Amino acid sequence: MNARDIWILYRMEIRSALRERSIVVNSILMPIFLYPVLLWVMFTAMTFIQGLNEQFTSRVALAGAPPPGHGSVLDSLEARDDVELVRGVGRDDAISLIRAGELDVLLSFLPPDTGGAALPGNFRVEALYDRSEARGRNAVARVREVVDDYRTRWIGQETEARGMTEQDRRLFWVADEDMATETELGNRVLGLLVPLFLTIMVALGCFFPAVDTTAGERERSTWETLMTTSASRHSLVTAKYLYVATMGVSAGILNVVAIVVSLGAVMAPLLGETEGISFRLPLMAIPVMLVGAMVLALLLSAGMVILASFARTFKDGQAMVQPVYFAAVVFPLLLGQQTDITLTPGIAAIPVANVAMMIRDAINGVFVWPYIALSLAVDLFLVLLCLRLARFILRFEDFLIGSYDGSFWRFAKERMHPRRSEKDLA
Amino acid sequence: MKTNERTVFVEDLRKTFYDESRGEVKAVDGVTFSCHPGEVFGLLGANGAGKTTTLRMLSTVLKPTGGTASVMGHDVVREPQAVRESLGFYSASTALFPRLTGQETLRFFARINHYPVERLQERVDALISRFGIQEYANARIEKLSTGMKQKVSIARTIAHDPPVLIFDEPTVGLDVLNALEMVKVIRELRAEGKTIIFSSHIMSEVEKLCDRIAIIHRGRLLALGTLASLREATEQHYLEDIFVHYVTRAEGLEAATIGVAGELEEAP
Repeated sequence: MNARDIWILYRMEIRSALRERSIVVNSILMPIFLYPVLLWVMFTAMTFIQGLNEQFTSRVALAGAPPPGHGSVLDSLEARDDVELVRGVGRDDAISLIRAGELDVLLSFLPPDTGGAALPGNFRVEALYDRSEARGRNAVARVREVVDDYRTRWIGQETEARGMTEQDRRLFWVADEDMATETELGNRVLGLLVPLFLTIMVALGCFFPAVDTTAGERERSTWETLMTTSASRHSLVTAKYLYVATMGVSAGILNVVAIVVSLGAVMAPLLGETEGISFRLPLMAIPVMLVGAMVLALLLSAGMVILASFARTFKDGQAMVQPVYFAAVVFPLLLGQQTDITLTPGIAAIPVANVAMMIRDAINGVFVWPYIALSLAVDLFLVLLCLRLARFILRFEDFLIGSYDGSFWRFAKERMHPRRSEKDLA
Repeated sequence: MKTNERTVFVEDLRKTFYDESRGEVKAVDGVTFSCHPGEVFGLLGANGAGKTTTLRMLSTVLKPTGGTASVMGHDVVREPQAVRESLGFYSASTALFPRLTGQETLRFFARINHYPVERLQERVDALISRFGIQEYANARIEKLSTGMKQKVSIARTIAHDPPVLIFDEPTVGLDVLNALEMVKVIRELRAEGKTIIFSSHIMSEVEKLCDRIAIIHRGRLLALGTLASLREATEQHYLEDIFVHYVTRAEGLEAATIGVAGELEEAP
């Protein structure tokens, strides 16, 4: 291997890649703009949908009336701007109208079940609605709010008349206190999202360069051009690997930068002051995320380059590399669901998952350095194994000229076959 | 310009491939020849005759199964990098990087093949001027026409000024004018003292261009000599007839050796 040759080849690869639209989009623009744009779209959509729901007036039909003395519950309902009372509709007609989407809920005032029958004038309200419709669910929520308010008010009046204060009425309750700060809550949300997005971005950052520099070269007939230069095979493959890893690392770093910037610039203003959640990463989390992104890029690019280098066309290359991409995304996705898991020696031994968990812990301010070191050691060991495998594969010249039907699995199968002669070892 | 110095030496070169359906396939079976500076050495054969495999072994892309080969005294197995530094390889399967410009391409190939850095720009400028590619030297290769690409491609083959050049079916896919241009460039390179190995299945090109011709068939060299000696040996005038003569004989005479004058002789 020659460092000078590697540098020349590496520069050529980078220069060439930066002129390819799909690589620039997937390895540079996506990592930068995914967070701000995605978050903006997400929150805007949520606000928009919420606004749409609030804008609708709930159409509420009545069957019967509240018992004497409780007529004001209807007054409260009628007083709401977002509720329209529809009277004089029979039960059957109301059901048809609900099914047709022309009515949201039918309210029936009924005698209480046996448990509440001791109180004279007690009633229950039966709400008939279509749960599959957002308007129906909203209408029931509004009715429930009115009835709950009425009950609280009524109990207050009755107990007050009997000389009981509000504090006297409170019996056997749990008083909970949330110790989590707004930042901790925010970081918990980030801990779920960031490892997943970071892994996706690093994998995406490696994906197109890995396929382009191997299968793409074969398809464009530039593979053999490179092989006839005086650079050694190892220099050639090392330069390609470093190039793919660089694109993956840069995607990861850009992604981390985008996260940090978008937290203040996009998320906070969208959530506003009232949400009780804020986003501030621990300072130490940033280097951990960067190191994690780098190790992830080194690992994924090694796997992707090896698989894609067997493919003879860009399309075949994509098909070969896609499993690595999905496998990389699945771990953080699954772990993301388990909010109470932290980095353990067991998880530290699982590639990709260890980095995802390490980053999540770091965002939450947890730094178990021995396990972090173990995670990095495991991943770097795998990188070394991949490089050894690449070195082994390079011995076979039929790999260099694109045999094995463009498949790594075919290579593995044929090389293990006893019939195969060793004559054509390069 | 032609001298007796041996720049390329090939002796009993063999290459066997393994094919799942056919078993072992002898793509090159004991080929021997040598080339000299200022000479265009023609490798003539039908498709699948073993020309490209021979040239790929010479350019160290493939490793020989048997025999030896050297370029400028460097053994293709023991010193592959030195061999590649001494030769330029041009073929239909060695395309240019589409996203680089012509200028960047020439710089890249000169540097990677270890052309002295201090003379790099001078060399690149000279090549751009020689092939008349000034106008599009800074345009990306992917934007160029076939003719323009061909010029850049030849320029990149000789970017590091190698003493030996291999042209494997260089006119495949080119129109008549571009093919003539290619022949002209090869003649110029010969005049500069380069050793040129020219492989083709187009008889007229080989006839016009090559100082010596080797006819290869099923991995074996059937004949080797100047056009005149081959004519004399076969009593045929046209190269096409000469080629057919040897191939027909070889199909009927499996056990044969090459005589001193390039004539195929029946083995004892």
